[in-house]
Amino acid sequence: MSSKKTDATRRAIVGATIGVGLGIGSLSLLAPVVSLRPKKEVSPETEPPKEGDLLTFAVGDKAGKVVTFDDLPLEGPAVLAYPKDPKTGVIKSGEKNNLVLLIRLKPDELDDEVKKYSADGAVCYSAICTHLGCTVGEWDASRGLFLCPCHKGLFDPRHGAEVVAGPPPRPLPTLPIRADGNKPVVAGGFTSPPGVLAGTTAAGGSCAV
Amino acid sequence: MYRWFDERLNLTRFNKKFLNKAFAVHHSYFIGEIALFAFVTLVITGIFLTFNYEPSIRMVKVAGKSLPAAYASVLYIDSLPFGAVLRSVHHWSASIMIASAFIHLLRILISGAYKRPREINWFIGLLLLVLAILTSFTGYSLPFDAFSATATGIGYGIGTSIPYIGEWVSQVIFGGEFPTVHSIPRVYSLHVLWFPLLLMATLGLHMLVMVKQKHTQPTYAKKVAPGRILGVPLMPQQAYMSTILFLLYLAVVFFIAGTWIAHPIQIYGPPTASTPPVKPDWYLIWVYGILQIIPGDLKIPLPFGAVMNSEFIGSILVPGVLGLAAILLPFLDTRRTKMRYMELPTRHPVRTAVTFALLAFLVTTTLAGWKAELGLSAGQLWAIILGGSLLTYVVVYYAIILIWGRPPKEDPDAA
Repeated sequence: MSSKKTDATRRAIVGATIGVGLGIGSLSLLAPVVSLRPKKEVSPETEPPKEGDLLTFAVGDKAGKVVTFDDLPLEGPAVLAYPKDPKTGVIKSGEKNNLVLLIRLKPDELDDEVKKYSADGAVCYSAICTHLGCTVGEWDASRGLFLCPCHKGLFDPRHGAEVVAGPPPRPLPTLPIRADGNKPVVAGGFTSPPGVLAGTTAAGGSCAV
Repeated sequence: MYRWFDERLNLTRFNKKFLNKAFAVHHSYFIGEIALFAFVTLVITGIFLTFNYEPSIRMVKVAGKSLPAAYASVLYIDSLPFGAVLRSVHHWSASIMIASAFIHLLRILISGAYKRPREINWFIGLLLLVLAILTSFTGYSLPFDAFSATATGIGYGIGTSIPYIGEWVSQVIFGGEFPTVHSIPRVYSLHVLWFPLLLMATLGLHMLVMVKQKHTQPTYAKKVAPGRILGVPLMPQQAYMSTILFLLYLAVVFFIAGTWIAHPIQIYGPPTASTPPVKPDWYLIWVYGILQIIPGDLKIPLPFGAVMNSEFIGSILVPGVLGLAAILLPFLDTRRTKMRYMELPTRHPVRTAVTFALLAFLVTTTLAGWKAELGLSAGQLWAIILGGSLLTYVVVYYAIILIWGRPPKEDPDAA
């Protein structure tokens, strides 16, 4: 025979058991949720560009060949390139943000900051649009500006690839280069992080509103 | 045979209850049905596609060329007899599903069918539209050609712009920073398994609620048979009409898809380091347009160092606000009596004018997607968008008042 009291106790015990079971069960689900995000695998192909790297053509018939100053027409258009480790011979094309734009301009048109990172009028910028990650692959020859084909962002290579028009939030990061014979060579890392910065990073751009 | 089943399943009772059920007839009621037919066509052509598609971006050698496996497998599909046509039917049906679902939504909106007691189905319908767009977007990346890879990369970038959780969300959906070797398998799983399952369940619920609550009636039904349901039985009349419509749908969509092959990946080529000038599918161009004319340095700071940047505001916040307005609508625009009949758009000038203004907003923001081609500045386009939407509201409102007169204070449609 069960009284009201034992019924209540029994219900409480059953409820507590189910609650604890569900609680621990859902907590244990957290482990697989964490591993939903894939591991970032580091390999020689995905390393960022570093001092001494050569630059190789990224697209076209000469893809994989080292870029020389003769390959760069004065006043553009730019050449798309990946850095290459001269010791191992590995082309660092495994990381999207390693893609760079190499362009040769008249040295006296470059502003002082750009000149510091340039070699013989050649300047190197990240080719990944800071807006949503397209390749800034077009060259507006009449105005002398880089054009991103996706949302029509315009960057001025003479002034640190600052945004002239369109939605990009910040300039394209510069990759410093120096001359080594007739070849442009990487002289250091990007001046700011290349590619799209996630919404949590407040870096770059002005603060409106 | 029938008796054998009837003795075990009591089919006669089921027939009386469901197959003889009367459903109202009106030409605008077929729009939602077309969305359903498009979904069925998508599942059937999708099965064919999954039999031949390889969800991987690892490079394979095909006829001496090194191509991503996904791209190569879609080339293989296109080389099969009718393969390209079936893929084209799949692509076109996705567009038709979203278009007809949206027109169906507009019909519900201007006839007031979202009101009590049908709020639940209004929410389920909104969820269906969002799911349909998500399913289409995840499918867009699968051929892994230069166009689809670029467009999906933009989607990844938009995802990362969500404050606090953006990077995590985008990396979970796209398997790291798109494109990685994990990207296509994940998007494939979402596109062929999880989103379709959710769509099927939601669709089933949508129709179950409709059957349970009964469809709204055309206004003439009130004059012919007030207070009673005017319609034809599911079996056989409605079934005949639906079958004919489905066959008609198939004929038209096969003709269109066969004549204009959608997304010709041989022309686009596999992805390279440079990206082509992409525009999203037509139903997302309005978001793309907003992204082009929003100032890039627009930032709304949030606590703990997070910001809402222009990408988030343009492509998530603006559509989100529209969605929120749609969710709130049945709570703001209410009626006391149970709704049986469609309301006349001309008796509700404010609501009808707002609907037209919304359409004007979507059309003008879509227009902004051609900003460079039009040669207009962001300021001019904002003026066209805001001015055009406002003007549409004023013109439609006064046109209704002038032609049909002011609506009477007492709701004439209340049953």
